[in-house]
Amino acid sequence: MTFLQFVEGPLFYVAAAIFVVGVVYRLIGILRLGGERDLARPNGSATGGAILTVLRHFVPRRTFWRGSSFHFVAGYAFHLGLFVLLLLAAPHVAFLQERVLGFGWPVLPHWAFILTAEVAFAGLIMLWVRRFVDPVQKLISTSGDYAATILTFLVMLTGCLALQESHVALRATHMVFVDIWLIYFPFSRLIHTFTFFFSRAQTGATYGRRGAKL
Amino acid sequence: MQNTLLTSARTSVGKLGTGLALLLVLLMLFGATETYAQSVRAPGNAVNLDDGIEDGPSNALGDDSQSDFWRNFRGGDPNDIKQMLEARPEGAVLTTTGQHWRELRENYIRKYAGWFPLGVIALLLLYHLIKGKMRIKGGFSGKTLPRFNINQRVSHWFMASVFTILGVTGLIILLGRPLIAPYLGKEVNSVLTSASMQGHNLFGPLFIVALVWMFIKFVRGNFFQWVDLKWIFKLGGFFGGHVSSSQFNFGEKSWFWLVILVGIVMSGTGILLLFPWLVDDLRWLQLSTILHAGGAILLISVLFGHIYVGTAGMEGSIDSMLKGEVDENWAKEHHDLWYEEVTGKSATEEEGTS
Repeated sequence: MTFLQFVEGPLFYVAAAIFVVGVVYRLIGILRLGGERDLARPNGSATGGAILTVLRHFVPRRTFWRGSSFHFVAGYAFHLGLFVLLLLAAPHVAFLQERVLGFGWPVLPHWAFILTAEVAFAGLIMLWVRRFVDPVQKLISTSGDYAATILTFLVMLTGCLALQESHVALRATHMVFVDIWLIYFPFSRLIHTFTFFFSRAQTGATYGRRGAKL
Repeated sequence: MQNTLLTSARTSVGKLGTGLALLLVLLMLFGATETYAQSVRAPGNAVNLDDGIEDGPSNALGDDSQSDFWRNFRGGDPNDIKQMLEARPEGAVLTTTGQHWRELRENYIRKYAGWFPLGVIALLLLYHLIKGKMRIKGGFSGKTLPRFNINQRVSHWFMASVFTILGVTGLIILLGRPLIAPYLGKEVNSVLTSASMQGHNLFGPLFIVALVWMFIKFVRGNFFQWVDLKWIFKLGGFFGGHVSSSQFNFGEKSWFWLVILVGIVMSGTGILLLFPWLVDDLRWLQLSTILHAGGAILLISVLFGHIYVGTAGMEGSIDSMLKGEVDENWAKEHHDLWYEEVTGKSATEEEGTS
């Protein structure tokens, strides 16, 4: 077994299993935390508040636009770019079809892949830079934030460096970082990919039940 | 008996040879060769190149010399830079500029380019060993002035990040063959060069974005002023003495315009190299690689000076780009005119006496 076969085979399956089990474990842990029963008479719908808040927080309120426009633009550039690359890049679809799912779907043309990668990289670099030059953000950032950012950057970078698909070593390097990223994911800040939904819903439900204007 | 037989045989062979020779002469005289030629005649649609030529290809070169003939044939003198730039490919049958481009790239750029950044690093090390870190004379005052806002800082570090990636990948592409291949092997160089090429092409367009962003955020305050002449005459104060300057000194302004102007050249040549079908003359691409490599070496070399002054070389400098604030004593010492402009106080008088 070659090193590439190892990182694309056994190590990938182990990493993917840790990712799935770890994420489920973390989410169940959050759900089991529960909350104190609110005995007050409800003035509004908790469910409606939760759904409304989850959706409305995708765009900042006009009042906060000036202060959050940077994060809005850079954040969406990075996150949308990353998801498009993850799900529509030709090598990714081919890999998932061959190794995991057994079926594929239409992929991005090469030029669209490059453009999307540039948008995603621009967003990620801007978010990373902002983290250490904005005094407030610097204060609330931990080493875990930087580690998650750097690891995600390395996964993206090694993937793009292997684009020519002419060297096994580059593909193997990318897969090593993918495997590390999958294993690190559930136990790091990267879990926000799933937990953002819970935090928004919890806040929305609380204020929705109280009848607050959301 | 034996001699008689040999003599008879020789006579017979001699007669036969004489007969064959006579037959050949007769055949030639009566046009038997024409019969032979007709038996292997060309197809009906073939063109007879001999038609219309009466005297054969004598004096084909006319009165030109061999060198003139080949110079015209290849479309100009490849050693003449002006001709290299102006000559149109339509007029040329063969161009040899590629060979000269290759020689320039291999024998000069690849051979000597790496020495420029190394030379700058050596000079900076020498300066640091002799002069040491430039300290704030009055020490940190504890009071700060805002110098760069958050957008300026983000644009600066965005450019720094993109430039670092482009610089590293570009140097591997340019110098991998002479510097990596002999020591780590051709396979390693091939892997690194392949990766670098992909990374360089990917991040190249982001450099253009960063360049425009930096220009917008920093152009104000970077126009040259008369006071900059004092900075030049006093060599920026690097060898002693106080030098007055406004928000940006002559060195910073020069660096800004160098990044912008050389950056424009890098962007233009980079676009041509990324999309080579935009031009139909190969010489534009050859010129682009030369300018791109030269511009990169220039920017990387000067960048080391910029990094040195911003970090190890000058106390308190890095705060301006990390925190956005600088100490008041730092501002008084290095940017006294700017200090006076933003505070309304004199930079030379002690606190409380003004």
